[in-house]
Amino acid sequence: MKDNSRGDINLVDPNYYLPLIALLILFCIPLVIKSVSWMQIMVLILWYACLTLSWNFVGGFAGVLPMGHAAYAGVGAYVSTLLFINYGLTPWVGMLIGGVISVLVALLIGVPTFKLHGAYYALASIAFVELLRMVTENTNKIFGIKINGARGLLIPLKGHSPFLFQFGEKIYYYYVILAMMLLIFFISYKIQKSKLGYYLVAGGEEQEAAESLGINVTKYKLIALSISAFFMAILGTFYAQLVLFIYPQGIMSLSLSFEIAFMAIIGGRGTLMGPILGAFTLVPLAELSRMYLSGSRFLGIHLMLYSSIIILVMLYMPKGLIGAFEKIYFFFTNKLFKKS
Amino acid sequence: MEAIINGVLMGGVYGLTALGLSLIFGVMKVINFAHGSHLMIMMYVEYCLIKSIGIDPYLSLLIVLPIAYTIGYFTQAILINPILKAEKDVREPLGVLLLTAGLWIFLNNFFLMLFGANFKSADTIYSNTVLKINKMMISKPLLYAFLASLITTYLLNWLLRKTKLGKAIRATGQDREAASLMGINVYKIYNIAFGIGIAALGVAGTILIPLFYVHPFVGDVFDMRAFVIVVLGGLGSIPGALLGGLLVGVIESLAGHFLNMTWAAAVIYMIFLLALFIKPSGMFGFEKEW
Repeated sequence: MKDNSRGDINLVDPNYYLPLIALLILFCIPLVIKSVSWMQIMVLILWYACLTLSWNFVGGFAGVLPMGHAAYAGVGAYVSTLLFINYGLTPWVGMLIGGVISVLVALLIGVPTFKLHGAYYALASIAFVELLRMVTENTNKIFGIKINGARGLLIPLKGHSPFLFQFGEKIYYYYVILAMMLLIFFISYKIQKSKLGYYLVAGGEEQEAAESLGINVTKYKLIALSISAFFMAILGTFYAQLVLFIYPQGIMSLSLSFEIAFMAIIGGRGTLMGPILGAFTLVPLAELSRMYLSGSRFLGIHLMLYSSIIILVMLYMPKGLIGAFEKIYFFFTNKLFKKS
Repeated sequence: MEAIINGVLMGGVYGLTALGLSLIFGVMKVINFAHGSHLMIMMYVEYCLIKSIGIDPYLSLLIVLPIAYTIGYFTQAILINPILKAEKDVREPLGVLLLTAGLWIFLNNFFLMLFGANFKSADTIYSNTVLKINKMMISKPLLYAFLASLITTYLLNWLLRKTKLGKAIRATGQDREAASLMGINVYKIYNIAFGIGIAALGVAGTILIPLFYVHPFVGDVFDMRAFVIVVLGGLGSIPGALLGGLLVGVIESLAGHFLNMTWAAAVIYMIFLLALFIKPSGMFGFEKEW
């Protein structure tokens, strides 16, 4: 593999062939798939890919283990939805406000928690998302604004109105989320190649050593968390607009948090393509298993799949699927391009 | 008053569920996220025993304990040790954390598939018996459960302090390398410690059966409380687990009395976060135990 630390994109480099082909396919998919349910699955796959990429800022680059990231998605979804229902504000603006509020929440919780290490941080993040969910579930009204507790909020249907972030067909949602994924991916790429990225990795691996070199590890972790929380909130709004119904047990639940973390880790935490690969392999698996196995006993079948895969990955592929994938890919590209 | 007494009694039970978690952390510096799931398994084992052969719940400890120990021993030997060996030089083995988190979700949903989502309760002869003292109603099985957790805590403490095995376990917890130089088979000690930790859960599962329903996710009820307790009491501390348990029990009972039960759970999480921020090494100063 060629050294590419300056971040130039060289299109002749075989490293870029596969991502570019994949991108081309992603652009063309809506032209081929016409079924609404399949388009919905495609949108969900991309949505999860965005979530895992956002998680990866903290869970991957900064090297801590956030297990409660759905909290920020919940904040975003609720803020934009409440603004829309009560003040008629378009979610396009609402999601930015949600993002800012989410960043504030993240800073509030991040300042004390980043002092904690490993397991303690994971526990604190779990406690945080659970606390937020419980408080939301038990609040019906706050300052005269209806939150509806555990019953959740229904977003009024406005038909096809792009200005209000509601579309008549899935294809629009698809391109919106694809654009978001590219944006988050691009920012991940820039961060990984920047000083910030190196500081984060250094602080994640050996916090004391990095601090003794004069790196303010907590500060950089907070920056990573803020970026992550901002995108999580925007993705929360996207989900609310896609499904038009949000409730605490869904959008700010522990199980969504675990899904995100598991996907990113199975794919390969701390890498660029790993989280995307995780989402693209696991979401279809989960959707297929849900399609063919129904009934209350199989409610958790997708979680069972994820968790058994994560146990296997931890035992046999600690670097995630991306490690194995890269090996195979470079084996073939090297063979193909050696002669030319 | 009744709320406080019930809180203390229930707190004892919480303390018991946290014992194993604390012990396992003390030895391996690993938080077993699947702790609640192990408790859930033990409750199902107990439930099936009662339903199939109608054994007295307290007598069945003789059967449950060896099963619990075996499950714990092999969880450690098959799943966790390989990762610990691979991450030998890492101070905080995150891989194990992820593995146990995976195990937690897996076991919960696996048992959901096996037993369905219905709440089950084994009606034993003890289930609804009550002790009356001056108009105060105290549930008898809860009282027995409290006594059982005191005894278990005492026995575990004795095992760790006075026996040769206990000394080997503590030595491993203090310094893995030094212990292995002294001729201790570290990984075997890990297996045994995990086995003992799950056996303590076996006791908890047994005494909870007359009190509590059985459900694939019942472990989560105790899981989060066990985390809170070990953080309050100091991770790795055995008496700390009991004290933390009592504290959580009383707070929860009072919060339930003055607010309502759903808010009581939220209060526990708030205390947990506060405890983590203020003094993650525990409230009672047992840090130097290992």
